[in-house]
Amino acid sequence: MRVVVAPLRSFPSGERRIVEVGGRSIGVFRVGESFFGIRNRCPHQGGPLCLGHLLGDAVADGPGRARLSEDPLRIACPWHGWEYDLDTGQSFMGTASPGVRSYGVELSPGASLCDELHPAPPRKRIPGPYVAETFEVNVEDEYVVLHA
Amino acid sequence: MSSSQVETRTGVSSETPRSVELVDCDVHAQATEAMLAQYLSPSARRLLERYGRRTPRVTEWYPRARHSGMRVDAWPGKPGHIWGSDPELMREQLLDEFDVDYAVLEVLSGQDCYDHPDFAAEWNSAVNDWQVDAWFSSDPRLRGTIAVPHEYPSLAVAEIERRVGDDRFVAVLLPASAAEQLGNPKYWPIYEAATAHGRPVAFHTGGYVDHRGAGYPSFYLDYHVGNGIVMQSQLASMVAGGMFQSIPGLKVVLTECGLAWVAALRWSMDAAWERMREDVPRLARKPSEYIDEHVWFTTQPIEEPDDPQHLVYAISQARLGERLLFATDYPHWDFDSPKQALPRAFGPELRRAILCENALSLYGLPSRREL
Amino acid sequence: MDEIDCDVHCAPASFDELFPYLSDYWRQYISEAGVRLNGLSYAYPPGVVEPAPSNYSSLSEWVLSEPEPRFVVLNCLTGFETHRNPYFSAAVASAINDWVREEFLERDARLRASVVVSSVSPDDAVSEIKRVGEDPRFVQVLLPVRSDLPWGHKNNHPIFEAARSAGLQVGLHAWGRAGKAPTPSGFTTTYLEDYFGNQPIAQAQVLSFVSEGVFERFDDLRVVVTECGFAWLAPLLWRFDKDWKGVWREVPWVKRRPSEYVVEHFRFTTAPAHLPDHPVALGQLLEMMDVPGTLTYASDYPHDHGNGLSLLLDQLSEEERRRVMWGNAAAVFGLA
Repeated sequence: MRVVVAPLRSFPSGERRIVEVGGRSIGVFRVGESFFGIRNRCPHQGGPLCLGHLLGDAVADGPGRARLSEDPLRIACPWHGWEYDLDTGQSFMGTASPGVRSYGVELSPGASLCDELHPAPPRKRIPGPYVAETFEVNVEDEYVVLHA
Repeated sequence: MSSSQVETRTGVSSETPRSVELVDCDVHAQATEAMLAQYLSPSARRLLERYGRRTPRVTEWYPRARHSGMRVDAWPGKPGHIWGSDPELMREQLLDEFDVDYAVLEVLSGQDCYDHPDFAAEWNSAVNDWQVDAWFSSDPRLRGTIAVPHEYPSLAVAEIERRVGDDRFVAVLLPASAAEQLGNPKYWPIYEAATAHGRPVAFHTGGYVDHRGAGYPSFYLDYHVGNGIVMQSQLASMVAGGMFQSIPGLKVVLTECGLAWVAALRWSMDAAWERMREDVPRLARKPSEYIDEHVWFTTQPIEEPDDPQHLVYAISQARLGERLLFATDYPHWDFDSPKQALPRAFGPELRRAILCENALSLYGLPSRREL
Repeated sequence: MDEIDCDVHCAPASFDELFPYLSDYWRQYISEAGVRLNGLSYAYPPGVVEPAPSNYSSLSEWVLSEPEPRFVVLNCLTGFETHRNPYFSAAVASAINDWVREEFLERDARLRASVVVSSVSPDDAVSEIKRVGEDPRFVQVLLPVRSDLPWGHKNNHPIFEAARSAGLQVGLHAWGRAGKAPTPSGFTTTYLEDYFGNQPIAQAQVLSFVSEGVFERFDDLRVVVTECGFAWLAPLLWRFDKDWKGVWREVPWVKRRPSEYVVEHFRFTTAPAHLPDHPVALGQLLEMMDVPGTLTYASDYPHDHGNGLSLLLDQLSEEERRRVMWGNAAAVFGLA
């Protein structure tokens, strides 16, 4: 379904609109020349996702050494603050392995054990646990159009 | 974890009176200072104006690192109002949105009142006056809890006596940390008064936690997770100190501290009691039996294991099926939605018990209400 | 089955045993101030708990008889008794380590020990780790679960740096310095509360190690939570993960879910094992937490917490029992 959201000239960068399409509430965001569409419903507990704050990333290469980065842009649910990539809907609070398992040691008799602590997976954010539904938004003839 | 979209109401009906299906046992009406000051005596008001509240708010100790601790969408945008201060917005966003039958207000403004006893007494009384004036009359679904100056038990008892004639006050409210451990006999007169008037005592997460075990954490994250840890310590104090043995009708509601930790505490205290009964001569029975009989828990913030079945385990291990009280904690940021917070793994009976039956039974609320 | 016993206690019966390792200044101080060792009596009341052995022959008589462990890790908690004079605390820690070496480690190749350090001065802890830590018979640095500042705090990071440089892990042991009651409010009124109290305190320490990024800085560090129980772990991790998802921006150096750091970096000794006696509930607990991966055997001699462990071991496979009884400890401490 194509839904005309607004004339381009009345939808400046930094703004958002919430539209109802076929019983679904969808948020449309403009960031610079890019447009994003994301379901206005957090997969976690159903909060109104698109009312939340839009935030870039926060990265740190060690305790206390935190800085902001503009990318990727995320929408934070106004309830619990769970965040989703505005472009892909992906959240990055996942787990490296299903269930919580330790990185144990498989032992063999007589083996030297000194360096047997298995290395952990690399320390980076893991996708999960949810993906918010995203939609294509483009500009056609000076109108912002949502495809939902 | 799979969240579930489950209708709270079993059927839409305009029939009246109708069956109660949802009781929200922890809702925060939040007052501005101005809203409470209007109930103070002139001298107390002058003291407040000139010296302010001497004790810092707990939010200054550990700023709530997400959304200032509130749902972003719960800001009323009306002059003079803050999150949780506007009955109209609460009705719209909570009571009507989720078809809540009863909501129990827990107004925390008095919990961090470590001012002079006279002021503390007035301030807590103002909290209760405000509940009556601004809230009870605004919606028949609302109930409240009696705020008391808990460090001054005789003044607290006086405030309880003042309010118990109004049956919309369903419990007495204390914080989860105080100058002494909550099981300390200093506080027993408060619990006795509450019990004498048929009210449970609700202990709500918060107050000034004096982190003397591991020391003060650096982050709100640790502090927030720590709310559950703090309550473990307090529950141990309540049981071991003998208050349930000495006040047989006492009922307590441990509020906003989670629930999944209860089983391990029961196993541990029971195992310890087997070996050190002489240390606790006041206890005639094992600790878990007192917890079975005297303690309730609100659900929020409900734990979310990867496998929701594990939460069912935690509930059955601690025999909490008839002791859990659903709560949203509106308008705080870690709000639990009545539609989605309880996982599908909870069967219909457990769900119904948590969403309303346990609360109806504990608070003596009518199971049918006029619309 | 082989076993590595990760928590066995020893303690000097009085300062007399430590005198050979203390300067005459401290000997005079101890004498003039009337400082006495009390065996951490508030933690282990002498009327109900056996005192820790104070010499090798008592130790060997009780602990190193059948079944003979492959290794025993000695934890001397006497350092927990010291008061806040940081110089005294450091001096006593050194004396204890020297005493443990001479009285125990020299006498039996199966014995290992924790490095006792001052708990009021990270600088002094670092110095002591450097002094004795290279001795391969020391396997970990002993820290009390009670502290003024949570152990993960940046002020304490030099301790972990020094430990890893010396090839040591960290043992986080129940109790600590006596003082104003270690609770969120005020005084406890029963021993039962104090005994249970190690568990909530240990939980708070677990949070701190993760949130302060200790494992981001020291990714081969392991912390053995000793004599603080373990059945509380799974619910704590559920809550920790959930809250982190909301407020991760406060600690952006925590790159993975907190529970993953915990199961990778923490081990928990098996005493006390306070468990449900119903086999169904016990089986559930085994689903909720990774027992074979995270538990490591300890007798906790001479402290007796009951026999919950045997219930647990019955539920494990042969391979899983092996990991708990010695495999995990062997890996953590590098014991072949």
